[in-house]
Amino acid sequence: MTKNSDRRIVYVSHPASGLARSNFPLECHVEDGKIVRSLPFYIPDDVRLYEIETTSRGKYSRPRKEVQMPLAFAAKQRVHANTRVKYPLLRDGWDPDNPNAAGRGSDSFSPISWDKALDIIVGQLEKIHDKYGSMEPVLVQADGHGQSGYLQSLHFWGHYLFDMLREQKGWGWWTQQVRNPDSWEGYYWGAKHVWGFDDTLGEPYQDAVWDDVLEHSEMVIFSGNDPEATGFGMSGSIALEMPKWLKKAGIKIVAIAPDLNHAAAVHADTWIPIKPNTDAALYLAIAHVWIAEGTYDKGYIDTHTVGFEALNAHVMGEDDGLEKTPKWASKVTGIPSATIKALAREWAAKKTTVSVYFGGPKIRGTLSHLTARMEAYVLAMQGFGSPGRQFLRTGAPSFYKKSLAQVPRYPDVDFHGLAFSPMIEYAIGHGPKSPVFIPRTLAAEAIQQRTISWKSTTAALAKAEDQFKSYRYPPTNDHPGIRMVWNENGSQPGSWGHGNNWLEALRSDNLDFVVGVHPWLENDLTYSDLILPAQTNYEHEDLVVVQRSDILALFYQETAIEPVGESKSDYEIHRMIGQRLGLGDAFPPVDEWLKKAYEGTLAFTRDHLSWEDFKKQKYVIYDCPTWEEWVGIKKEHGYSEHTGGQHWFWNDADGLETPSGKIEFVSERITKLDPDSVERPPLAKWLAHSEHADSEKAKTYPLTVMTNHPKYRFHVQGDDIEWIRELGKMRGDDGNFYEPCWIHPDDAAARGIEQGAIIMAHNDRGAILFGAVITERIIRGALSIDHGAKIDFVSLDNRQVDRGGCINLIAPSVQEKYKKGAEIAIPEMNISGFLVEIEKIDPAKIEPGIGMNYDELVRGKKSGDAA
Amino acid sequence: MNQKSFIIDVDKCTGCNLCVVACKDEHVDSSYAPWTKPQPEGGQFWMNVKPLERGTIPRVRMNFLPTMCQHCEDAPCIPACPEGAIKTREDGLVWIDAELCTGCGECQPACPYDVIYKNDDLNIAQKCTGCAHRVDEGALPRCVDVCPHDAILFGDNLKKTDAALEVLHPEFDAKPHVYWKGLPKPWITGALIDADADEVVIGAEISVTNLSNGSVVATTSDAFGEFWLKELTLDHEYRVDVTHANYREFSTTVASDRDQELGTITLKPAN
Repeated sequence: MTKNSDRRIVYVSHPASGLARSNFPLECHVEDGKIVRSLPFYIPDDVRLYEIETTSRGKYSRPRKEVQMPLAFAAKQRVHANTRVKYPLLRDGWDPDNPNAAGRGSDSFSPISWDKALDIIVGQLEKIHDKYGSMEPVLVQADGHGQSGYLQSLHFWGHYLFDMLREQKGWGWWTQQVRNPDSWEGYYWGAKHVWGFDDTLGEPYQDAVWDDVLEHSEMVIFSGNDPEATGFGMSGSIALEMPKWLKKAGIKIVAIAPDLNHAAAVHADTWIPIKPNTDAALYLAIAHVWIAEGTYDKGYIDTHTVGFEALNAHVMGEDDGLEKTPKWASKVTGIPSATIKALAREWAAKKTTVSVYFGGPKIRGTLSHLTARMEAYVLAMQGFGSPGRQFLRTGAPSFYKKSLAQVPRYPDVDFHGLAFSPMIEYAIGHGPKSPVFIPRTLAAEAIQQRTISWKSTTAALAKAEDQFKSYRYPPTNDHPGIRMVWNENGSQPGSWGHGNNWLEALRSDNLDFVVGVHPWLENDLTYSDLILPAQTNYEHEDLVVVQRSDILALFYQETAIEPVGESKSDYEIHRMIGQRLGLGDAFPPVDEWLKKAYEGTLAFTRDHLSWEDFKKQKYVIYDCPTWEEWVGIKKEHGYSEHTGGQHWFWNDADGLETPSGKIEFVSERITKLDPDSVERPPLAKWLAHSEHADSEKAKTYPLTVMTNHPKYRFHVQGDDIEWIRELGKMRGDDGNFYEPCWIHPDDAAARGIEQGAIIMAHNDRGAILFGAVITERIIRGALSIDHGAKIDFVSLDNRQVDRGGCINLIAPSVQEKYKKGAEIAIPEMNISGFLVEIEKIDPAKIEPGIGMNYDELVRGKKSGDAA
Repeated sequence: MNQKSFIIDVDKCTGCNLCVVACKDEHVDSSYAPWTKPQPEGGQFWMNVKPLERGTIPRVRMNFLPTMCQHCEDAPCIPACPEGAIKTREDGLVWIDAELCTGCGECQPACPYDVIYKNDDLNIAQKCTGCAHRVDEGALPRCVDVCPHDAILFGDNLKKTDAALEVLHPEFDAKPHVYWKGLPKPWITGALIDADADEVVIGAEISVTNLSNGSVVATTSDAFGEFWLKELTLDHEYRVDVTHANYREFSTTVASDRDQELGTITLKPAN
């Protein structure tokens, strides 16, 4: 081991990066081989920032100080977390001839050498190849939601490895898990059929949208949007600036959500609490007011849309006998009818923009595609794209290559300034590379059921037509199905629906072998047979591709500290496996790969900064255009100085990526390809479903859970960091930290629950423990619980319950809406807006589970382990 | 010598808690002699962002009070220490000399701001040093450096820059060097509805009179029928008068001992 006695500044990509992209790194000070502090990054004065100009509302820029979410500053604590995987770990109950599948999740592990680990993996892969003739029985889960850098800690290498085995060794296809558009579900499955935007996840492009909003908008509706949590985590400082821009411009912020979220709590002018997953009813009632009072944009409806008369008939109850009045919607949504009318009138009178950003309670629930379509409908009724009437994301400027950035940036920097990873296509792509694939939302079912069939690849950037194509798994009846799982995500049970069922699937006898590649023992990793120790971002060099911010930059991430134990980077792990299998040249040396990636960027091709000099200089930050330059750039794209967003469509009345080129109240595509669909009819309608508060199930489980992205975690990451737990958790009387569950005082009182009590939320899918936070920040009848808490199974009255507070374990699965064996028409993710009941529990009755830590789960220490 | 001081602007703080984590990042595991020994891994909040939930549905808002050692000129902790371990630097920053501290704990109850912690492992009292070690190098305290909203400022003799600055709990008479803007004041809020018409009442005049001095603040109900009068003086009697040409006047009297939610007020038509 080399001893570092130096004091260095290292720019480390923070763990909320992902998909080979990042926001700004922190300035980490390393002394004597230890990370001593992490500071904000200050953008140097010689980098030109942008300034958005308005005619009467002033100028808008951003600070040079760039901070990231608290998790980033605390991430150094996670390097030596007690869950850190230091060596390759083999499950004690696993045997090549008898996997003892039922022991997954409860067996202990023993450390083994890398040599032995590679022997086992290669042996298992060869066994599959010999027995089945291809790699199709291997399910590869490598599509994100974990710590991720550009190259070294990227999570997509499993797909690449198997693709190379196919290409170079002729080992055939593998089963590719395809990641659904998990934060934009409703827009993808629904809104695309109204307004197109087929190259996105279903949300409108963001070209220069801030120029338009800051110049013209008078009201912005935060529809579950939370820049202080989700935006901050994803995009850093700029997400915190954007609400301040709105305030400075004198634009009213109206927050509509079941919860008073972190942004609404400090920025909203008005909060309209709504029952979870009922936004579609609100939109219908708003449409009712506009139709009744004649206050919608009839000219625009005539010229820019098709099928409005069908919506008109549905709103007025001509098709189903139910007039969608504010009084009706009031019962469904919990919003007073007078408030609904007031909102509708204000929306019609004021130039109103709707703002959404990666999730929120509205967009990830059962049938949220109907809600998103309704949202597009009401936007259309007020002339969507006219000045000040836009769809606004607050942060992470667009990564769609067709469009201009949200804020003034040079298009050539957008397109050629950064190193893009070709690996992303495996994870967030236009469709699976392997013809043998399953959607991430159906991974458990693909293991458990003999055959499943569904529509759509679910690929994030797939074209809308794909949603009507039928697929099945396994591809043929004589296929062996999934026999091995390659898990690089470590996030399935805490980020997707019905996590308990995923963990049950991992215990299936169908699986001979489960490999996990991860730095920590957490989530589903303890259900592995072999765990390979991956490094954190601090332990290797990499590129940091700053694409999540409004300012684009490249950083060279030096190795900050020595690797923990015998951990290797994700890239190196796959390289070693590839080498054992004879794939030497598929995995070139890291420096060679990074250099090549860097040399494709403007920093090299235009500015001629060599790779070696870049590494010395450590970063390149691209200038932004002056306002005059930006106005010129916009002109070339058809925008005038103070317009942006969908202004082009308002001008052209044509050119959307819908079959008609217009906004479609009645979808031509659905009419043609799936006209009899009840759950997604050609015209979006109000449909009650089994997770609504007035359903039969609600008699047993009367409370509706809504989930947000967490403020202090990043999905499942960071829950084991002491400083983050202190901020984000609630300390129970038994001394343990509990995940907070927001409860309205009336609901708590009805159940005898007092502030800080330890409670159990349960439904037919399982039971989870939480700390009761009794608050006026949540509407009656609902609970707010952030997704992704770290699982900690314990026993309570002989029942397995999760003390960690991972609500996804008991969220619905896609399968539930369909009869087993029936084709799953819309494999959407449902992790918000579902039913539970809660009760107070006695923590003295909790019996500990198998433990959470390395020392509890791993037998014996490997020789040479100093720790 | 110039006196170091902080200004905390409550209106700017959004409760991100970066200051809390940055403080831990600086002090956990790191020793800055003589000003402080390492902070333990958990349990201490030299910077503590105290959340204050205000109001009832739907008129609920959060305030956050980033609270640390107020670096008082007449710090009550100093005379409470039997060892003379708590000292004031020439620049006004108050620190605990770990070499003299015996961990007796006398200073903790003496501090009216509750910002002194006990480090059981090292058997010493600990608190915010104002990042004295950084200040000596010309750098900003970590909480100031990391704050994305300039809600925490640091500099020399800052109080003179703004007459509106307050101190936290002036009644403690400790002469803090931490000054505050936007400290929460009680509010009166409510919503107006015409129940017969099932419509919110927009544009009503709401005037609130302080009954002890006759001063009046006024607003109008907004597009959602809501009104919100902030910045009342604590512990006074106020008369609330709601007037609108189409409705009969509504009046009530409330005490500003806390935030007052008048709820949904039904106005009766004038005729």
